[in-house]
Amino acid sequence: MTPRAPEASGAPPTGATAPRPPEKHPHRSRLGARRRRRALLWALLLAGPNVALLLVFVYWPLLQSLYLSTLQWNLGSPAARFVGLGNYVEWFTAPTTGRIVTTTVVFTVATVGGAMALGLGLALLLNRRLRGRGVARTVAFAPYVLSGFAVGILWLFMFDPRYGLIQELLGWLGVASPQWYTDRPWPLVMVTVVYLWKNLGYVALIYLAGLQAIPQDLKDAAALDGASSSRTLRAVVLPLLTPTTFFLLVTMLLSSLQSFDIIKAMTSGGPLGSTTTLMYSIYEESFVNGRAGYASAVATVLFLVLLAVTAVQMRFVQRKVHYA
Amino acid sequence: MSHTPARRARTAAAALAAVAALGLTACAGPSVGATSDDASADAEAVDWSQVEPATEITWWSNHPGQSQDLEKQYIEEFEAETGISVDLVTAGADYDEVAQRFQAASQTDELPDLVIASDVWWFRYHLNDQIMPVDDVMEHLDADAADFQPALYADYEYDDQHWAVPYARSTPLFYYNKDLWKAAGLPDRGPKTWAELEKWDRSLKKETPKDGSTFGLSTGPSWGAWWFENMIWGTGGAYSDGFDLTLDTPEALAGGEFVHDLFHTSGVATLSADDNMADFSSGVIASTIGSTGSLKGALDAASFEVGTAYLPDGPQGGGTPTGGTGLAIPSSKTPEEQLAAAMFLEFLTNTENTAEFSQATGYMPVRTSAVESDAMQRTYAETPQFRTAVDQLADKARVQDDVRVFVPGADALLNEALEQIVIEGTDPKAAFESITPRIETAYSENVEPYL
Repeated sequence: MTPRAPEASGAPPTGATAPRPPEKHPHRSRLGARRRRRALLWALLLAGPNVALLLVFVYWPLLQSLYLSTLQWNLGSPAARFVGLGNYVEWFTAPTTGRIVTTTVVFTVATVGGAMALGLGLALLLNRRLRGRGVARTVAFAPYVLSGFAVGILWLFMFDPRYGLIQELLGWLGVASPQWYTDRPWPLVMVTVVYLWKNLGYVALIYLAGLQAIPQDLKDAAALDGASSSRTLRAVVLPLLTPTTFFLLVTMLLSSLQSFDIIKAMTSGGPLGSTTTLMYSIYEESFVNGRAGYASAVATVLFLVLLAVTAVQMRFVQRKVHYA
Repeated sequence: MSHTPARRARTAAAALAAVAALGLTACAGPSVGATSDDASADAEAVDWSQVEPATEITWWSNHPGQSQDLEKQYIEEFEAETGISVDLVTAGADYDEVAQRFQAASQTDELPDLVIASDVWWFRYHLNDQIMPVDDVMEHLDADAADFQPALYADYEYDDQHWAVPYARSTPLFYYNKDLWKAAGLPDRGPKTWAELEKWDRSLKKETPKDGSTFGLSTGPSWGAWWFENMIWGTGGAYSDGFDLTLDTPEALAGGEFVHDLFHTSGVATLSADDNMADFSSGVIASTIGSTGSLKGALDAASFEVGTAYLPDGPQGGGTPTGGTGLAIPSSKTPEEQLAAAMFLEFLTNTENTAEFSQATGYMPVRTSAVESDAMQRTYAETPQFRTAVDQLADKARVQDDVRVFVPGADALLNEALEQIVIEGTDPKAAFESITPRIETAYSENVEPYL
């Protein structure tokens, strides 16, 4: 059975479906050309401020960063030296690069995968008619609006292996608290858990919106056909959620790869670099070590990675998306 | 249906934008190929007697030792005295954050007139030509630089000039829990040597809680490699001789072995997860090393009597590094702003104010006259713990190893080697070898070309 939703109600709230461009008028005239020119002028006028902002705050720094990546430059110094691709060569051959890439991959897969799975579960739960559902939804979403830095500091207290809430809870179960701040891999586990906690509500909220956009009659039809609830979930709900999943995958991946605040607040990338992600290493190289040129090269690498990840998702994952 | 004209227009617009952007790129940022000497050669001596101070200046601080209210009070008093208003900006939570913001702002006109310059940062400001020497202007103001505690003022000397003035200055101190000391039947003093602390461990261990220890420490950037100087000096080693790394000498390796054994063999020490002063104040560890800047906090927080002592010696002596922060004046400001900043700097560090600052925070008074002042003598009589740092400075202070304070990022790398040894039990030789090439790169890239 291939479910088809009515046009209007199946669209996800995420903006993942682009509206079709309006049909071009087959008939052209000089008048039309003039009208088009005027339209273009209007478009330029209206889009101009936004385009200018984009140019100044996105593309200009991007080009600037590309240029800086070819320099050996002490941040703050009036003088620099041109080194061509030297910074890139150094990054690809540095002994720490392997560790940083591994940490980044582990952190990203764990946070994105974890948030998506748990967020879906939470959304399914919150979608039921339960008492106190509104309160539960608010509580679940609240961490997302908190400052990452504040969240990091709060959890730092809770994870403290000597006085923290978590060692207290583990103590009741008769389990000794791991050395969260010092013994690998616990610091990475710790920041992953906190990142998950902070972003879970967002994923759940978007999934919830996706769930509520699924027409009830489809589920009723599935029930009439004798589908169990798990079968309905697999055959009806999940396929119709794929645009939402796709949207979340892209945004979560991008934000996880760029996460900084929680790591800075909780571990400063340590100990021994065990929580230093690609993003964090850019900060460390530029602002701690003052190597702005090298940091720009790493930033360019991260930019290319993000571009590649997004391109792959657009090309391959989107094909599997079932737009209702 | 053809989109060609529109596409052509788009392409042209994009190309234009790109060209414009590249053109702009060429004029922004650092100048390539120039050396920093070119920039500093332009600086001419200012005749300060011909300069009228500005009426408004900005000060970037992190309020060391929770001194925000005190700093505001100084500003009010200074304004009443001179009519110059000072805008106090919280530019970060610690020295590193202020420094990072200062670096990032260096190419803009958003710079302050007075800025926090910590022991590991001022030299980098200087290398980048971001700050001015203070000797001339302090002389013009009759600031009596000879009255600054010599060990503290000398820290900012390079090329026969001083690049900052001491403000919130500290040394590490040995803190101990007097109540536990008494219960263990030990004399009321800190251990003279690390060996003595190891000897005392047996009796102290009986008095500490189950998950506690005789001694505890934490690691981290701007911290671990600071206290470890005492230990590596104690075995006759050092991080460097000038800018030459000496981490492979038998004496330095002995320092590494010492700290390794302290945590992994004798078990005298345990690692504090985050904040060793919190573990100390709560009574979990019987002793620790903390900054003088933590003294007031420890006295307030602890429910037992807090003792302070010199850092213990090793078999080859020892010593204490100095630390904390000074204040520097950016070189790019106008002489009027620089003079006003210097006047405020002189005011902040005068005998009366540095004494008051010391009493409120535990940082050391930066002037000899302040140490001898009635106010400080009264404080020392009431709270003798405050006295230890000043005495230790006179008896034991040693200038920090150049590599830690002058090479960007070296402090963090030395801390990384220390963490390998302390947390993972790595062999000190391997730990030191792992960071040596990285410090050498940092020196050859970020220091040598600018000297």
